[in-house]
Amino acid sequence: MRRFLAGLAAAGLLLAGCQSAAADPDAGAGAPVQGGKLTWGIETEPVTFNPHQYSQAKARLLVWNSFEGLLTHDDKGGFVPWLAKSYSVSADGLTYTFKLRDDVTFHDGEKFDAAVVKANLDQLQVPGYAPSVLASQLRNYKDATVVDATTIDVHLKQPDVLILDFFAAPQGAQVSPKSLKSPDLKAGGPDVVGTGPFILDRYSKGQEVHYKRNPNYKWAPANAGHQGPAYLDEITYRFLKESSVRVGALTSGQVDVVEGVPATEQELVKADPNLAFSRSLNSGTGYIYYFNQTKAPFDDIRVRKAFRDAVDVDALLQGVYRGTATRAWSILSPSGPFYDASLEKTYGNNPAQANSLLDQAGWSAKDADGFRTRDGKRLSVRIVLSAPYVRDKRDILAQAVQAAVKQSAGIDLQVKIVDPGTATDALAKNEFEVFENSRADTDAGAALSLILPKGAPINRHGYNSPEVDQLVAQASATADTAKRKEIYLKLQQLTVTDNATLLPLYAPADQIAAQKKVGGLGFEPTAGVPASAYNVWIGA
Amino acid sequence: MLKPILRRLASAAAVLWAAATAAYLALHLAPGSTIDTLVGDGPDTPVIRAQIAADLGLDRPAVVQYVAYLGRLLHGDLGRSYVLQRPVADIIGGQIWPTVKLTLLASAFIVVIAVGLALLTTGRARWIRGLVSVLELSLISAPTFLIGILLLSLFSFRLGWFPVSGDRDASALVLPALSLALPLGALLSQVIREGLERALEEPFALTARARGLKRSALLWRHALRHALLPAVTLGGTLIGFMLSAAVVVEQVFGRPGLGHVATEAVGTKDIPVVLAVVMLASAIYVLLSTIADLAYLLIDPRLRKG
Repeated sequence: MRRFLAGLAAAGLLLAGCQSAAADPDAGAGAPVQGGKLTWGIETEPVTFNPHQYSQAKARLLVWNSFEGLLTHDDKGGFVPWLAKSYSVSADGLTYTFKLRDDVTFHDGEKFDAAVVKANLDQLQVPGYAPSVLASQLRNYKDATVVDATTIDVHLKQPDVLILDFFAAPQGAQVSPKSLKSPDLKAGGPDVVGTGPFILDRYSKGQEVHYKRNPNYKWAPANAGHQGPAYLDEITYRFLKESSVRVGALTSGQVDVVEGVPATEQELVKADPNLAFSRSLNSGTGYIYYFNQTKAPFDDIRVRKAFRDAVDVDALLQGVYRGTATRAWSILSPSGPFYDASLEKTYGNNPAQANSLLDQAGWSAKDADGFRTRDGKRLSVRIVLSAPYVRDKRDILAQAVQAAVKQSAGIDLQVKIVDPGTATDALAKNEFEVFENSRADTDAGAALSLILPKGAPINRHGYNSPEVDQLVAQASATADTAKRKEIYLKLQQLTVTDNATLLPLYAPADQIAAQKKVGGLGFEPTAGVPASAYNVWIGA
Repeated sequence: MLKPILRRLASAAAVLWAAATAAYLALHLAPGSTIDTLVGDGPDTPVIRAQIAADLGLDRPAVVQYVAYLGRLLHGDLGRSYVLQRPVADIIGGQIWPTVKLTLLASAFIVVIAVGLALLTTGRARWIRGLVSVLELSLISAPTFLIGILLLSLFSFRLGWFPVSGDRDASALVLPALSLALPLGALLSQVIREGLERALEEPFALTARARGLKRSALLWRHALRHALLPAVTLGGTLIGFMLSAAVVVEQVFGRPGLGHVATEAVGTKDIPVVLAVVMLASAIYVLLSTIADLAYLLIDPRLRKG
C-alpha cells in the first residue's frame, strides 16, 4: 500500500510521441542538433544508481541513460529487441532463448555477451542482494545456460510471460561484470557502469548527477527515435524537491527542462510563450478506492454501487485539479494496451439510484446530522491515508469525496490522514472500509496479480473469487497478447461492473515542461514516465 | 588544571551517549520501518520483508541491536547506511563541508544583522523602533521555508542575481545563508537592543556621558559588552535551531548537506545515518558551548577573576 506508484501519465501531447520517445518536429526546436549541455531539474534523488536495486518510478528516467536491458517495451504491450537481437520461447513456455548483439561494450571496456547476462542473473540470486526481484519478477526463474557467446537459454520452473517484462525492466538491466565486483555495487554511481548512451561520471549527493555522452554508442533499439550516439554532449540532473523552485528555475532560465509540474503550476507554465508543456499517463493501475468487502457495510454490493453512484468524479477532479487530471474508469490505467474503454460512463453520478440502493439495503433511516442509519447504526466508512505518501493532493480529493457522498447519499466517509505506522496498523487490524492505491507496474498482469487474487499482497479489500484467481493465473501463463487482452477485459468487467469492487478516480500522470529550444523530449512507451535523454537536443 | 578538563570530557561523553540513546529510542518507538522504504514501489510480500530484515539484522531484538551499535561506535565504526548502501562515514564526510560553509556564512550574517540592527535602532524615535520590531517579529515568526522561497522568487527567478541551487560558487551560498540568518539575526537583535537600552539606563552610562564620551563610543565600547552576554548565551542554544533550519534551507535550495541527509534518513528510518548525524550534532553542540563559556571571559572581565 505504500508503493505508490508514481505519478506518471499518457497521451503524447506536444512533445510526446508514444511509439518512441520520438523527435517532434513541431516542438519549435527544429531538426536535431548535435552537441550542447542540458540541465534538467528533477523531483526525486534516487536512493541507488544500481538498476538491479531500482524501486522508485520517479527515478526511472535516469536508469536508461547509462543502463540497458535485453528488451524494451513498445506501446502495444509487446517488446522490441535491445541488447538482445531476438528471442524465442519453447513450446512448453519453459525456456526463453535470447540471441544477443555481438557489438556491445560496457563503459569500462568490458564486452557484453551471454556470460555477462548469466553473471547478472547470478548476482540477483545472491542472498540479500535483491530480495524483491527474486520474490516477484524472478519467482519462476530456474536457471540460465550459456549456449555460445551470443546465445543464452533462460529456464523457468513454470510458464510465466512476465519474465519478458523483467528483461525490459530496470531490475533486469545489464551491469558490467567488473562493476558487479565493486564494493559500491548496491549504491551504484560512477563505478557501476552499463552500456547506455550516457556515462554517469559525477554524482554529488543532495545536489546533482552528471552524465557525458558515450561516443561509442551504436546499439539503440529500433523504436528509440534515432541511431548512433546521443545528441547531447553532457546532461546534468539537479535534484529540486520543491515544485515551485523547479518551475521558478525553469521560468528564469536556470534549468532547461523540469519534470513533475503539479496542477497549481501548470497554468503558469502553459501561459509562458517560451515554455512547452507535455504530460503522459503512467502505466499500471489508476488511483483507486477499493471497498473492503470483508465486513459491513461494503459486504453488500448495493452499498458499494451506491457509493459509486453518489460521487460525480468528473466534478471532483475539475474542482481539485482544475481540469488537469484524466479520469480513470477501470482498475487499469487508460494508457495501457489492456484497458477496457467500454467501461466508460457505465456507472457513477446517479444520486437518485444511490439513495434507492441504500434504502433497499436497509440504510433507510436518517440521524440528526443527515447521515443514513440502519438499526440505529450510522453508515460510516473509514479511509486511511499515510501522510508522508500523500501526493497529487490525494488528501484534498478524499475530502471532496467525503463531501460528495455526504451530500448526495448521506454516507459518512471519515478521512484519516495519519503517520505510516498508524496506517499500517489500521490495515493489519482491518480497521478501514476503503483502501486507496495506485500502481505503476509496466505490465498490467504484475499489478493485477498483486491486487486481485485471494490473499495477494495488496488485496486489502478481501475480494474473493475463484474465477478471478484463475483468470489472473491464466493471463500470466499466456504468451499471446490478443488472448491476454481477452482475459484482462474479462477481469475488468468482473471487478468493475459485476462485483463493483472499486471506485476508480484518476489516472496518475507525469509532466515535462521545457524551454522551447529543447527538442526530442518525450515519455517512455508503456511506462509513461519521462524517457531518457538519448533523443534530447538543444536547438539554436 | 587536569581535573576540570577531565570533568568536561566526561560530561561531553555522557551528553553524546545520552543523545545516541535518545535518538535510538525515538526512532525505535516511532511507527513505520526501514523495510517500507526498501520495498519502495516494488512488490511487497512477507517473504521479501523477512529477507530484508534478516539482511540488515533487524530481526534481532532491539536491545541486541542497540548494544551492538554502541559496541561498533566505540571502535569508531559508524556502520553502513541501510538505504544508501554505503559506509556512513563516507556519506557524512561528503556532506559536512557544504553545511559548514552554509552555517559559517549564516553566522557571519547573523552577527552583522543582529548587532547592526540593534545599534542602529537603540534609543531612536518610537516609530522607527516600532517598524523594526514588526519586521523582526515577522522574520522570527515566518517559516524558513517561506523566507527561502520569497528570497528565491525575488533575487533568483525575477532579478537573476543569484543561482537557484546547488553548491557551486560563493554566489550560490548567499541566499541560503540569508534565509538561515534573517530569523536568527532578528531574534538576537531584539535581545541585544534590550540589553543596550538597559545598559544605557545604568548609572555608569550617565557617568560616561558626563565625562564627555560620545554616544556612539558609549554604545560600542561599553553598552555592547553588557548586551552581548545574554546574546551569546542564547546564540549557543540557537545552534540546534540552525541545524534544523538548515534542513529546510537545503531542501528549498537543492543544496547538499547534513540537514538533507538527516531528513532523508529520518524519513526512511535509516538508523545508522540518523545516529551518526545526531552524534555529530551533539559533538558540535558540546564544542560550541565550551567556546561560548570561553567567550564570556573575553567579553566580561569580571568573570576572568572568578
